[in-house]
Amino acid sequence: MERERRYSMKDYRSEVWIEWCPGCGNYGILTAMLKAFEELQLDPKRVVVVAGIGCSGRIPNYYRVNGVHALHGRAIPFAVGIKLANPKLIVIVHGGDGDLLGIGMGHFVALGRRNIDVTVVIHDNGVYGLTKGQASPTLPRGVKTKALPRPNIQDAINPLAVALASGYTFVARAFALDVDYLKRIFVEAIRHRGASVIDVLQPCVTYNNVFTAEYYRKRIYRLEDEGWDPLVRDPSEARSKYINAMRKALESGDRIPVGIFYRNPYVPSYEERVAQMNPYYLKEPPSRQVVEVNGRPVITTDYFRRVFADRIVKVVGRGSK
Amino acid sequence: MLGVRDAYILLGGPQGSGLDTAMRILSRFFASLGYSVLADREYYSNIRGKHSYVHMRVSATKATSLKYPVDVAVAMDVESVFIHFRDVSRGSYFVYDLGTESSTIEDAKALEKYTAMRVKELLKELGISEYVGDVVKWLRSEGVEVVGIKYSDLINELVKYGVPRNVATRALSTFAATAATYLVGIDPESMVSTVEDVFRGRASVIEVNKLMIKASVSALRSKVPKVSKELGKPELSEDELLVVTGNEVVAMGKLVGGLRFQSYYPITPAQDESFYMEGKDLLKVGDKYLGSVLVFQTEDEIAAIASAVGAALAGARVATATSGPGFSLMVETLSWAGMNDVPVVITYYQRGGPSTGLPTRGAQSDLFFTLFAGHGEFPRVVIASGDHEEAFKDAVEALNIAEKYQVPVIHLLDKFIANTVVAMPVPKTEELVIERGKYYVGPGEGPFKRFSLDEEIPTRTFLGMSPITYYTGVEHDEYGRISEDPELRIRMYVRRMRKLEVIDREVPQEHRAVLYGSESGDVLLIGWGFVKGAATDAIEELKSLGIKASYLHIKYFMPFPSRRVREVIKGFSKYVFVEHDYLVQAGMAAKLFAGIEVRERIVKYTGRPIYTNELVDAVLKLFKEGVKEVVLRYGA
Repeated sequence: MERERRYSMKDYRSEVWIEWCPGCGNYGILTAMLKAFEELQLDPKRVVVVAGIGCSGRIPNYYRVNGVHALHGRAIPFAVGIKLANPKLIVIVHGGDGDLLGIGMGHFVALGRRNIDVTVVIHDNGVYGLTKGQASPTLPRGVKTKALPRPNIQDAINPLAVALASGYTFVARAFALDVDYLKRIFVEAIRHRGASVIDVLQPCVTYNNVFTAEYYRKRIYRLEDEGWDPLVRDPSEARSKYINAMRKALESGDRIPVGIFYRNPYVPSYEERVAQMNPYYLKEPPSRQVVEVNGRPVITTDYFRRVFADRIVKVVGRGSK
Repeated sequence: MLGVRDAYILLGGPQGSGLDTAMRILSRFFASLGYSVLADREYYSNIRGKHSYVHMRVSATKATSLKYPVDVAVAMDVESVFIHFRDVSRGSYFVYDLGTESSTIEDAKALEKYTAMRVKELLKELGISEYVGDVVKWLRSEGVEVVGIKYSDLINELVKYGVPRNVATRALSTFAATAATYLVGIDPESMVSTVEDVFRGRASVIEVNKLMIKASVSALRSKVPKVSKELGKPELSEDELLVVTGNEVVAMGKLVGGLRFQSYYPITPAQDESFYMEGKDLLKVGDKYLGSVLVFQTEDEIAAIASAVGAALAGARVATATSGPGFSLMVETLSWAGMNDVPVVITYYQRGGPSTGLPTRGAQSDLFFTLFAGHGEFPRVVIASGDHEEAFKDAVEALNIAEKYQVPVIHLLDKFIANTVVAMPVPKTEELVIERGKYYVGPGEGPFKRFSLDEEIPTRTFLGMSPITYYTGVEHDEYGRISEDPELRIRMYVRRMRKLEVIDREVPQEHRAVLYGSESGDVLLIGWGFVKGAATDAIEELKSLGIKASYLHIKYFMPFPSRRVREVIKGFSKYVFVEHDYLVQAGMAAKLFAGIEVRERIVKYTGRPIYTNELVDAVLKLFKEGVKEVVLRYGA
């Protein structure tokens, strides 16, 4: 028995020195998440942080919770495997916009379709920082950040529109340096049952001299300040709220809304869909099953005969066992 | 009437015309009579219309391989006549549609251009015109028992009973099954119970098929009142037989072996494994719940392996199943698994490459790919299965090795095993062991020393049930914390690579390379995978021809059983690698790991299996003509 204890923010922080540039938006994201863990009083052993590659990929090192530093673009499928094998875990994905929306876009879309209870944090800074400032999928066409030899030739992806179109049931945007607000959104995202995504706008102090902290500060406003209600309170509301959220996500101009755009608790999660077909799933998920008895298979020869009866043929005229 | 131990059957017809079902019915029927069965299905990557055929052996003892010519060939359409008329010989039966007598090769619309050209060339050579009627006339002159039956009469017979014409036409595949049965001297009437079994719950389908069997038998009786060869009494003592494809038997092995998470992306010829497993995901017998497997269809093969790795970190026994193109996508994650001591099994069904290659045909051309796929160096185990019984056991063993040594394991199979149906004894699962290796689940805050340098194989944790654990693809310390320190690098590198030595020490060499036949002789055939069946049968035939032959079956390619292979080779004046590839990759592995020079080789890379008859001929050729390489090419 482990004794009852109260976790503070620093209980979730490891001793490892942080190697991000001073002023990096990642600090805000890490702090906000540590605060969210504290507020939710999560057992560190039950939390798994899965990250991709790049500056944000280093984040598991800085937590004192389970950490999986996966592959570029593949944090989501690693996380999905962990979650489906043990649905009791709280699984959080950190990845850059290049990681999640470039190389890993297929997985990003697939997570939405399945509505698996995983929280995805997009560290959205418009550049590939660790490889020295190439344009990433959220950098608009025509923008020339300082490392680019010429203006960006590709159009930007709208992460919220993609998330909505993919089926995420919790879709939010926030700013990395507004830590308390970001924490509140993280808390709600983790509480949400289903696939949640937070597009976190963040400066890259070294390579993105266009979308700076200053740039965002001037333009950001909170959705709730203008009476926005993202929550689907009844399944019949889902469609209209969804369309509103999509319209809001597509808004462009000089004002940037942050907050929860859409939140629908009525779509069954993948885990619930599985449990509907297999009533044992949530109680005995793949990671918690006993698969042997004294080193022998649980499926005895007799059970084998019955489980695979569709492929067993009795030989005519011979006794059956 | 001559009693024979084995009967070889071929059914040819367009894809989608029910030959698959006919194969299933025949396999189950012969099994129900106590016969051993081996049935290969050859088909194009196509849903309807292109040529496919079933090539099967029914044996009173054990059906281990296939050969030509067959005893009975049934041509369901014009194309089959032209494709298979050379697959029979004196004394064989050749069944065709009398109604196509005046059709020509030009009427075989789906016939590929190059195949048509080859067949026309052959007809010319033999002095046969391009009419079906002329082909069968030639067959008769060669001593083949030609059985012409008007298929439209069979259909009309069913229509008389009120069966719609299109339904009656579909039932023609049951005619093929009936003809095959009748002509090997078995009464097809008793096939009715198999039909009832296969189509259980579909009363009208059963009725139609019963009518077709009846109509077929009376048509066959009028043409062949007495058959010349009859299958002898089965010698097996089994009360029941498992009638399965390789895909299915691997799924069974995995479930018995405790697999609880399987991910996949649809790809031929691997998909049927996961598909069958999905139907068995809830392992429940009556009220007794035995467990359940989560079969997870992913968006691509990258997600397939990545999710399997994730599930393994959480403590599930995991695998994914794929073929060459899918494995290509998995390689980056394979390297991550190697870096992080992740037990993950990749069931790999080889098909003809490169690229899309021959997607529905077999090959063994990916051995080196599996041995070295992945950037950087890391330990892995590569196990290959030679037949269904091995595949079942190896599926369990792959899971054991993966968890015991915390390494990725590639279980190599091929399309031949994947799609071939066999009737085999029901496995005794009590004889199997389940080894989960060292793991710790319990209290403690961590971080856990997951990559401990103090143990040959470290202790595993299950995310969420153990102290906090860190994993990273970057070089790391014992706690999974990133470190590029050069001295630590050496220790961690050695820690990982040493596992291969541990496995090499602990898994007996005799288990990794199995000798069939005596320890010395004139020739040693060396092969792996599906070659086993043809090779073990060929050595028997060679013995009867005065050549003392044995077969060395390689089951582990990593770690390679070097000592065993070197020892065995010493007992023979000649050794020959037999493989389904061009480069002779098992031979290359033997050279690399055991210093054995590849001198003689028999290879086949048409995508069709090696037949015993051509293997025997090839070995004779090596002896008589002194050639060093024979390239096999038989089979449509």
